[in-house]
Amino acid sequence: MGFLVRNTGLAPVVPTPPAVADMVRPTEEAALTPPGRADLRVEMLVEEGAPVAEGAPVARLREAPEVVLVAPMPARVGRIALRPGRKLTEIVLFREAAGDSVTHALPETGEPGALRALMQVSGLWTRLRQRPFGVWPGPGDRPAAIAVMAADTRPHAPDPGAALAGAEEDFARGCHALAGLTDGPLLVCAPAPVPGLTGVRHVPVGPRHPQGLAGICLHRSFPARPEHPVWDIAAEDVVHLGRLLATGSLPQTRRVTVSGAALTETRTVVCQIGADLRGLTYGATRPGPHRLISGSALDGHPARWLAPWHRQVTVLPEAAPAKAPHWFLSALTSSARPRPVIPTAALDQSGGGALPVMALLRALSVGDDETAVALGALSLLEEDLALLDYAVGGAPAPGALLRACLDRVAEEAGA
Amino acid sequence: MIRGLWDRETVALLLLAALLPMALTWLWFGGVAALGRLALALVISGGWHLIFMLARAQPPSLSGALAALAVAMLAPEDLGLVRLVLGISFGAVFGELVFGGWGRNVVHPATVTLAFLGFGFPAFPWPDLDLPVVWAALPAALIGVATGVMPLGVIGGAVLAGGLALALGVPGVALWPAAAVVLVLMVADPVTSAHTALGRWLNGALYAGLLALFALHWADAAPVQMAVAAALLAALAAPALDEAALALWSARRRTRHGF
Repeated sequence: MGFLVRNTGLAPVVPTPPAVADMVRPTEEAALTPPGRADLRVEMLVEEGAPVAEGAPVARLREAPEVVLVAPMPARVGRIALRPGRKLTEIVLFREAAGDSVTHALPETGEPGALRALMQVSGLWTRLRQRPFGVWPGPGDRPAAIAVMAADTRPHAPDPGAALAGAEEDFARGCHALAGLTDGPLLVCAPAPVPGLTGVRHVPVGPRHPQGLAGICLHRSFPARPEHPVWDIAAEDVVHLGRLLATGSLPQTRRVTVSGAALTETRTVVCQIGADLRGLTYGATRPGPHRLISGSALDGHPARWLAPWHRQVTVLPEAAPAKAPHWFLSALTSSARPRPVIPTAALDQSGGGALPVMALLRALSVGDDETAVALGALSLLEEDLALLDYAVGGAPAPGALLRACLDRVAEEAGA
Repeated sequence: MIRGLWDRETVALLLLAALLPMALTWLWFGGVAALGRLALALVISGGWHLIFMLARAQPPSLSGALAALAVAMLAPEDLGLVRLVLGISFGAVFGELVFGGWGRNVVHPATVTLAFLGFGFPAFPWPDLDLPVVWAALPAALIGVATGVMPLGVIGGAVLAGGLALALGVPGVALWPAAAVVLVLMVADPVTSAHTALGRWLNGALYAGLLALFALHWADAAPVQMAVAAALLAALAAPALDEAALALWSARRRTRHGF
């Protein structure tokens, strides 16, 4: 039965040109951006035009001054864009070839408080993601479990195994450190158990999308609740944590795949966090208008910079502007929204066998938050329903409905 | 960012494609009379879709053709124009369109039409189905299940429960042609059958179980009449079956995760 459930899923076809060899190519510009649509109030620690070393703090959060945003490369601060209320839009950095990187003092003892402080000051904290609601964890939060994602089934996602190869020791050190941050289990979600790793719970992951998404894995093995938050982190970042604990400096790089139909080659690039998407696709785009998307073709969004948590860039040809439909047809189709959803096998598969798709979809589209929460909506984020969004053709946009539901539940839980 | 194809009309088109072998076989054996009935059902059903489009801005759907085909194949014979028009209108409007169109309805419009005609005009004989038409239900089910537009659980549950009933000695052999055709045309509709995995198997089993009950205790009823009644009751019970399946799912989750 478990085997059957793990093998459900779809394989959406996203055309992409042949791949070329991996390359290390940091872009000339990079930016620090807030995760998702959240309002992130920050306090700047540097001025425009100031030089910063790799890993040096650039800003800190107003609500949690312990957590800092760090420069992903030796750079000069180019532009600081804040909205009223010091809400972060973006901090643009220009790379400087001759610059040094920050080395942190390692904690003498193995106490969790020191490790937490090191993670917060080194910038690793902002690579964590907390469910429910998909936010950065608070500085004092203690999760009920932590999931390490050593699998990714999005179309053309980078292989987490490549990040682990040759870094098993760092990975084990990182896992050991993470296990100290939680009272619950450390879940390692991977297709096969990672050899040489003890004291963790292995969660098997099937080959098809959406099995390799943290939300689907957690929904099945360890659901999140407001009073029992669950963190997830990518395996590559755990390797970096291990290296931080060994050397005192945190690598600010990320393996990113650049794919899509508007390219001449599919790239796997090791670049800095928050890299410039135009730099990543430079010299590989086909002539003609195209869209740069941070994230996969299913769950990404148009962007200039690689968003926090994203490990993929997709370049799609810009479709010709559609001819405006006849006024009568447009009145007819827009009046019938939300469009009804017909339960088909495609819909069942796009839930990954973990959740009753139609019941969740109905609860979300009528705004029945109580039922949606009972069906496990709190373990999920928009990206987990992106495949469902794809299957139903984007009307009634399950991802947007889920975000609205999560916002309402968060408001209620916070009030 | 990219969009799939599985919207309402795609599903309706695939269902039509699945039913095409059966429809063509039925037209081949029925001749001009069958064609006339189908055309009448299509015109009436399409007309109501048009009226709801103009009056309530509901986009018309190809599902109207699915209902028209089912009604043309299974409606009682020699009804006359007025009764047939009345029945099809009742089914299309009160079975589907007043709920907001296909995808929001509770019962298949053809089931409503046929039940209405059966209860309203009991004197008219129900049709006998030609065996080749019945066999054409097999490819219809296969295409429907393979493309994912017909729920496998409903068909599987009905076949399993029906086979079990026959093995237990229920006198239902005369019933199976009508049962198979109604199963493919109306019970295995993705909208009005159950939508959870367990609910679908229960839904199919309930349909076959009701048929077995009727075979044992409902004297002087035609096979099509029994199958239509069973389809109506099975569709009405589908939400309850889903609710039960979801309650079971929640209970199992609670024991596993503690909440």
